[in-house]
Amino acid sequence: METALLIGLNAAWQIAALALLALGLAIVFGLLRILNMAHGEFVMLGAYSHVLTAQMGLPPVMALVVCLGFVGLAALLVERLVVRHLYDRMFDSLLATWALSILMREAVELVWGRSFRNVPLPIEGVTQIGSTGYPTYRLLVIALIVGFFVLLWLWYRRSLTGVRLRAMVSNPSLARTAGINTARLSAMAFVTGCLCAGLAGLVLAPVLAIEPNMGLDALIRSFFALVVGGLGTLEGLGIGVAVVGGLQAGLSAAVSQTAGYLGVLVLAIIFLWRRPDGLYRRR
Amino acid sequence: MGFIVGVSAVLGLALVLVPVLGGDFLAWQIGLYLLYGVAAQGVGLAWGRGGFLPLGNAVFFGLAAYGAAMVLRATDGALMVNLLAMLGIAAVLAAMAWGLAALVFHGRSDSGPFFSLITLALALIVAQLAETNPAITGGFNGYAGFPPLAGLDPFGMLYYAIVALVVAVTAALMLLDRLPAGLVLRGLVAQEGRLQLLGFATNRVKAWAFAGAAFITALAGALFASHQGIVTPQATGFVLSAELVIWAAVGGRLHPLGALFGAVAIGLLSAELRDTLPWWEVLVALIFLVVVLLAPGGVAELLAQGARRLGWRHRGGRTAPGSAPPSRAEMASGALRLEDVHLRAGSVQILKGLSVACPETGILCVIGPNGAGKTTMLKAITGAMRVQSGRITLGSRDITGAPPHAALSAGIGRKMQIPTVFRGLSVTENLQLAALAGRARAADFLRPAALGWCTPALSRLLHHPGVPLAGLGGQDAGSLPQGHRQLLELALTLAPEPRIVLLDEPTAGMSPEETALMVELIRDYQAQSGAFVLVIEHDMALVAALEARVLVLHQGRALAEGTLDAIRADPAVAAVYAGGAK
Repeated sequence: METALLIGLNAAWQIAALALLALGLAIVFGLLRILNMAHGEFVMLGAYSHVLTAQMGLPPVMALVVCLGFVGLAALLVERLVVRHLYDRMFDSLLATWALSILMREAVELVWGRSFRNVPLPIEGVTQIGSTGYPTYRLLVIALIVGFFVLLWLWYRRSLTGVRLRAMVSNPSLARTAGINTARLSAMAFVTGCLCAGLAGLVLAPVLAIEPNMGLDALIRSFFALVVGGLGTLEGLGIGVAVVGGLQAGLSAAVSQTAGYLGVLVLAIIFLWRRPDGLYRRR
Repeated sequence: MGFIVGVSAVLGLALVLVPVLGGDFLAWQIGLYLLYGVAAQGVGLAWGRGGFLPLGNAVFFGLAAYGAAMVLRATDGALMVNLLAMLGIAAVLAAMAWGLAALVFHGRSDSGPFFSLITLALALIVAQLAETNPAITGGFNGYAGFPPLAGLDPFGMLYYAIVALVVAVTAALMLLDRLPAGLVLRGLVAQEGRLQLLGFATNRVKAWAFAGAAFITALAGALFASHQGIVTPQATGFVLSAELVIWAAVGGRLHPLGALFGAVAIGLLSAELRDTLPWWEVLVALIFLVVVLLAPGGVAELLAQGARRLGWRHRGGRTAPGSAPPSRAEMASGALRLEDVHLRAGSVQILKGLSVACPETGILCVIGPNGAGKTTMLKAITGAMRVQSGRITLGSRDITGAPPHAALSAGIGRKMQIPTVFRGLSVTENLQLAALAGRARAADFLRPAALGWCTPALSRLLHHPGVPLAGLGGQDAGSLPQGHRQLLELALTLAPEPRIVLLDEPTAGMSPEETALMVELIRDYQAQSGAFVLVIEHDMALVAALEARVLVLHQGRALAEGTLDAIRADPAVAAVYAGGAK
């Protein structure tokens, strides 16, 4: 019973963390049809916000502000200089964002070095659930992520900006003739996606090893979750992270970390081969 | 051919002079970057010629290096055994690459991010396995304690073995561009959909490109083991994979020498500058980004463009004409039938129980208002769209749901509404590809003579006094005016001599003279071959000129069929066109 609860909590943690990691990628792909290969590097920038905050002599609480400013600025620059020219050119955008990811990794390595860094947990301690203890920070993060997704979904379905975004996705040129500034909306969507990535890095930093190459793992896992669920929708993201996160947590508990990783890869290859649209299809 | 020999000789000579002029240490350094360069040539082959980007090609490099190191330790460096083992390892890795690409690209006709990310994940997995299994691979510390190939000194004679590999691979890649196989690869990058309609299973074409890339990369990796005397997980990892892509991109993925020089130049500069200039790696990444954005062909393509501007034009060797073997498409027989076909795209039901019984020979014109499902019917027949229910048969064969590349060998040729020709390839090369379609067998793709094939239908068409294509040989097919492009696509469609010809608005955008010519060519082909020709058309004058039976589609069903006069008199048809029936 206790182990079952523990495994369940671990699975919930994996799934929630993966959902947060994948959200930015899903936003940028779903709204802009760009596979942002530098997605993981924005996660990395978010995680390094802790380091930057400490260097600036600010209290750890300010990391959130630093993260939003730091990642937002980087995303805005990237959109202006690179991504803006590549809408509707999927292959070129893939390559350019890949180049960008290398540039970001090298730049961070130049500034902060290659060594691993750790961020202390902002909230220490363990919460007792029945007789099982679970880290409080993780429980809090799971709750935050669930709340965040509910709000996001409501906003996307109900708000005027949400309507404009959906109009842009379904028919960009018609949206433009209807007076929607798609260039600004696209830039906003890209920056928002990158901010989500940065926030994921910020929140998950205490449980990750922070180093310049950490983004790659985030990208691969997010991408495969989205492939399984169906690229480009919130519903697909939910299904995908549940399947992939659950599988990884289960295999890691039952066999080993490597087995969890391999299992996800095999599942992703099967989906890429047989069901490239994923489990969830629109309508 | 002389060009390739010349370039190879100059390359070989220049490389052989390196130890003489620069000393053994420089030769050792350059030897390493030459091996990386060969691996980058592999990336260039997959990317430039296959059109997809492998982000994890170091997998083949590293696995071959581990394999070679293990064989070297087991056999104590015996020459023949090791050479055979290295070739064997490379062949096995190439076969695995073939299988992976054929599997992932099956049933899809894009080269998008999916495959690239799978290769990247494979590189991560293999590197992790190498790190976590020290009993087999030596883990982090690497696998060492094996003699170099045939006892060749890494600071001496081994360099010449590397030069031999570099020259052989470079010559082979340059030769590939002169072979039918190379032409098919360039056609793949230019216009995958048309290549499928010419009967090529493009997932297998990509698989061959990836297998070639893996083979080359693996050979370099195998020699890398002897050169370094140690193999670490880094040889399989994503950092090297990324560097291979950068070298191929900056040097130029479209030219065998581009990727090679990209690797040697950037590699040597990095070795010199990495320690003195801390921002060197950032600069390399920045150069990569700028190349991607502003000069997608890399330095080699810039040089080639400059050379072309100066008037230096490489003339492809002219192949002696020869007669082509019979086409599989002309062997087919039987009439095309659609029975109660339903097809839905998204939420729109386009075909709602379409049944058509075509005659075995003759011309049938299909008319109908916009949205009637005319083009969709062709897509259903060629497998470009999947039908939900119903049957499509050709004689006794059920071709429902067959993939697009199978259409040609079933006897079906299709001309698109918006003409698809191979842009970036010359008119001659377009026609060469069409002459291969349905006729070439595996060995023919490696025989230059197959590029000189003439086919009866193509010759008739090209020799028609009104058809200007023969005089446009060297011109880029993408720069042709619309009328010429329509004619070229007709030539591509008819070259394999299909028994069933599907033409989707073949005269769109044509002048009256060109339209008359098109009608004459269609009728001529039909009369010569006895084929069945289905023409989608809006222009009633043209329908009359074709003297064909007429089928009217309306809202995804067949509404009426008969002679043009009978159709004109049909009140149901008149009602559909709301008085617009002429």
